[in-house]
Amino acid sequence: MDKKFIYAAALLVFSFTVVISGYSAALADVKENYRFYCSQCHGLEGKGDGPNATKSQPVSPRNHTDPKEMGKLTDEDIINVITGGGKATSKSTMMPPFGKTLTEKEIAELKDHLRGLCKCKGP
Amino acid sequence: MTFKLSRLLSFSVLALFVGFAATANAGGGKAIFDAKKCGGCHQTKGPAKEKTIKDMLKKKGPELWYVGSKLQEEFLKGWLQDPKPIRPMAFYSLTKKNPGDHPKLSAKDAGEVTEYLMSLKSKDVKAGAIKPKKNIKGKLVFKKKQGCYGCHLSKKGKKITGGMTGPTLVGASKRLNPDWIYAYMTNPKVFKPVKDMPVYVGVLNDTDMKNVSEYVSNLP
Repeated sequence: MDKKFIYAAALLVFSFTVVISGYSAALADVKENYRFYCSQCHGLEGKGDGPNATKSQPVSPRNHTDPKEMGKLTDEDIINVITGGGKATSKSTMMPPFGKTLTEKEIAELKDHLRGLCKCKGP
Repeated sequence: MTFKLSRLLSFSVLALFVGFAATANAGGGKAIFDAKKCGGCHQTKGPAKEKTIKDMLKKKGPELWYVGSKLQEEFLKGWLQDPKPIRPMAFYSLTKKNPGDHPKLSAKDAGEVTEYLMSLKSKDVKAGAIKPKKNIKGKLVFKKKQGCYGCHLSKKGKKITGGMTGPTLVGASKRLNPDWIYAYMTNPKVFKPVKDMPVYVGVLNDTDMKNVSEYVSNLP
C-alpha cells in the first residue's frame, strides 16, 4: 500500500515536472520568436514602438498591449495576419507574411502570446 | 614553330606567376584577417551551422563564408578602408544603434583582405541570372505587395525612408552581387537557416523573385 502510494506520488511529481518544463520551453520559444520576428516593428514589449516604427513609415505597427484595438481581432484574424501578412486581412502590407517562416504551432502560440499582451479576447 | 613554342612558354610562365601572385595575396589577406582577429566576430567557414534563434543572437557580426558571392569587390575594398554602417541597428539588436566602430584597414591591407574575402564563394549563387535594371514589377512587389521598406532603408527621391532592422538597400547597386540577391530570395536557408526576414519561397513566384532582385540590384 505504502509502495503504491510512493509510486503514485512519484508519477504525479514526474508528470507535473514534464508539464511545467514543457510549458516553460513553449513559453521560452514563443517569447524568443516574438523578440526575433515581431519586436523589430512591434517593440520588445509589444507597444508598437520597435526600431522599424520610424517617422518615414506610412503606417504605425499595431500596439499589441492595447485591449481596445486587439479586442477587435478574432483569433482567426491574428493567425491569418501572421501567416499571410497584412494583405491577408486587408491591412497594410507593411506586415510581412510569416507562414513560410513559422510553423502553424508557433503561429498559434504567438496568437496566445498576443492575447496575453493585450489581456483581451476577440469578438 | 620555335616562336610558337616560346610564346606558349611565356604565357605559361605568366599564368603561373599570376596564379601564384593571386594565391599569395589571398594568403596575405587571410594572415591579416587572422592577425586582426576578424574571426572573433565573423564566421568564414561554411556551410551554415546555426539551428536556433539563440545561435543567431550569439553572433557578433555577419557571416562571411559566402561574402565573395554576396558583395562587389570594389565596394568591399573601399568599405574596409572607410566602413560605414550597413545595418542601422547594431547586429541583431533592437535597442542599440550601430555605433559605426568597425576597424578601418589601410589601403594595402584592405586590398589583400578583399582578395581573401572575395575568394569565399558559395556554389549556390549562379552567375549571370540577374541583370540590374529599373524593374517596375519588382518595384511594385518591393513597395506595394510586400512592404520590404518596412525593414530596409531605400531612397525615395532624395529622401531615405524605411525601417532600421534590415541592412540598408541604399547603394545596393554598388554593394550587392545581383545574383546573390536572387539566390538569397530563392534559397535563403543555405545562407541563413534562421533569419529574422520572412521566407518568401512559396509566397513569391520565381518571376517575382527575379523582378525584385533586378529592382533591388539597381537601387541607387
